[in-house]
Amino acid sequence: MKNIFRHPDKSVAAKLIIAIGLLMVFLSFIFWYAILAKQEKDVMSIAIRYGGSFVNFTKDSIRLSMLDFRRDETQRTLETLSTPEGVRKVRIFNHEGKIIFTSEKIPEQFVDKNSVSCRGCHADPGKSSAVLQAPQKWSVYKDERGFRTLHVVDEILNEPACSTAACHFHSPDQKVLGFVDAQLSLAFLDEATLRQKLALTAYVVIFVLAVSLFLILIIYKIVSKPVSGLVYGMEKVASGDFNYSVPIKSDDEMGVLARTFNSMLNDMKIARAEREKWTQTLEDEIAKKTEEIQKTHASLVQTEKLASLGRMAAGVAHEINNPLTGVVTFAYLLKKRFPPDSSEAQDLNIIIEQAERCSKIIKNLLTFARATPSEKGKVNINDILNRTIFMVRNQVKFHHIKFDIHLENYPFTIIGDPSQFQQIFLNMFINSADAMNKRGKITVATRKIAENGKPYVELEFTDEGCGIREEDLPKLFEPFFTTKPAGKGTGLGLSVSHGIVKHLGGYIAVKSTVGKGTSFFVRLPLMEEVK
Amino acid sequence: MKKVLVIDDEGIVRTSCERTLAQEGYGVELAASGREGIELLENESFGVVLLDLKMPDMDGMEVLQKIKDMWPDTKVIMISGYSTVDTAVQALRLGAYNFIEKPFTPDTLIAAVREVLGNSENGPQ
Repeated sequence: MKNIFRHPDKSVAAKLIIAIGLLMVFLSFIFWYAILAKQEKDVMSIAIRYGGSFVNFTKDSIRLSMLDFRRDETQRTLETLSTPEGVRKVRIFNHEGKIIFTSEKIPEQFVDKNSVSCRGCHADPGKSSAVLQAPQKWSVYKDERGFRTLHVVDEILNEPACSTAACHFHSPDQKVLGFVDAQLSLAFLDEATLRQKLALTAYVVIFVLAVSLFLILIIYKIVSKPVSGLVYGMEKVASGDFNYSVPIKSDDEMGVLARTFNSMLNDMKIARAEREKWTQTLEDEIAKKTEEIQKTHASLVQTEKLASLGRMAAGVAHEINNPLTGVVTFAYLLKKRFPPDSSEAQDLNIIIEQAERCSKIIKNLLTFARATPSEKGKVNINDILNRTIFMVRNQVKFHHIKFDIHLENYPFTIIGDPSQFQQIFLNMFINSADAMNKRGKITVATRKIAENGKPYVELEFTDEGCGIREEDLPKLFEPFFTTKPAGKGTGLGLSVSHGIVKHLGGYIAVKSTVGKGTSFFVRLPLMEEVK
Repeated sequence: MKKVLVIDDEGIVRTSCERTLAQEGYGVELAASGREGIELLENESFGVVLLDLKMPDMDGMEVLQKIKDMWPDTKVIMISGYSTVDTAVQALRLGAYNFIEKPFTPDTLIAAVREVLGNSENGPQ
């Protein structure tokens, strides 16, 4: 309520009250003015009617005494007529304005030529009978006390009785013989009107005040209070308090507004919670991804380090293999001089094993160093597979391994580096041989498949080895992950293969049963045939 | 019984082969370069040539081609350090009989030579 009056420019209710209030004052004023004007008009018309009647009555009262030329009687009648309160004077005068009879104590000689007595008919009283106008038989003027006085005039018409009277005072040609005028005070009428005017004004003021008060109360109740409730709620929400809800007190538009606001607030609360949840999830996700990226970066750095190490090692590896051949050979030769169970023979075996281990380490480093891409061209997968199998068959490692080969007779053509494919296949064979302890069967197959409507070649490498544990499967393609004994594997073979296959738009799938064997499926997209 | 010719620029490899094969009863001749090896081949017939792939003056692949052209019956076993699989396959294509990787054990060497020549007449010493 305070707000309405303190900041009327900021309150809808105050604006409403001021607008309606001004309209009411304006309308009340018009109403008040109209009533008073109407009343004035009515009162005046009654006064004029009574004034006219009084003059006619005067004319009737003096008629006989005038006909009989009884001047004293006429004078007395006039004096009698002027006795009631309010009758100020009654006079009879002729065309020249000369007063013949008057009820006044101190008689005047002539009537005022500027009063209605003359001007009622004559526009210019100086030119006596000239310029007659439609008779104006009354006027109102204010007396010396400030009260109004009604001045009524009427003509005394000639009639046969006048011209034929014994005195023969009037000629029969004369139309109007003289005039009666009466001046009647409207003092008590004015007093009554004033009282009525005051009363009406008081009523109107009281009415306006009462209605205004009522209006203020109603507007406060149905507009200001609910609106300020809503405003309060919105300010609370703006400052972050989403738990506030606006009380609903009515079913009108304000109630609907409050209800809508509450439901909007509720939606907002839910949306905010959702958003906060998402933000949290997003932050977690970002943290997770950042960690992953850092990990990947670290492993990339390590990979690159190792690759450059491999490249460096490649330069000296060839040379190291030569002395290693000597070491192995002469250790063998020396071993033969001792009985197989002698401690010397055992020691020499260790020398041979360790020398072989050296060579293996060098080989792995070289494999990794060679993982850099070289020349690309059209490659026939079956050809390379055959060549690789042909090559590994002659290696000691594969002497006790049987190859079961099922290559589909189809020109599987891929654009790539043949040495990279060889590396992938060789790596598959080495892994299989290691898993089977160099004894058993490796099944190699190629077949044409379709994936998402595109032609693919599927290469299958199945061994009868120890299999891969389920918990190791997800880590299979991670660099440096190996299950081979320390120093036997670098953990780069499958990782490098995976990288090459992925680069070519393919992927490697694994199916493995522990104790039974493992199948690797390398799927590569084929070059689209040109028709 | 035909002899074995070892062509390798590395002395230790030559000696290793000589000692291993001699012990098994095979006759062995040594050459330190491709040129030297071909000179020996011109004078004498060999059953097996053990040929290093990577040599300074004349590359093993070149020597292989020459041997295959001039003495097609002579079997060539390539000795490679870790060279590319491609090179090994290429060598096999060009007519090399087999290849062994350095460092090799005496057993591997003996097995590879025996595959061509059979057991030596003299037997292991």
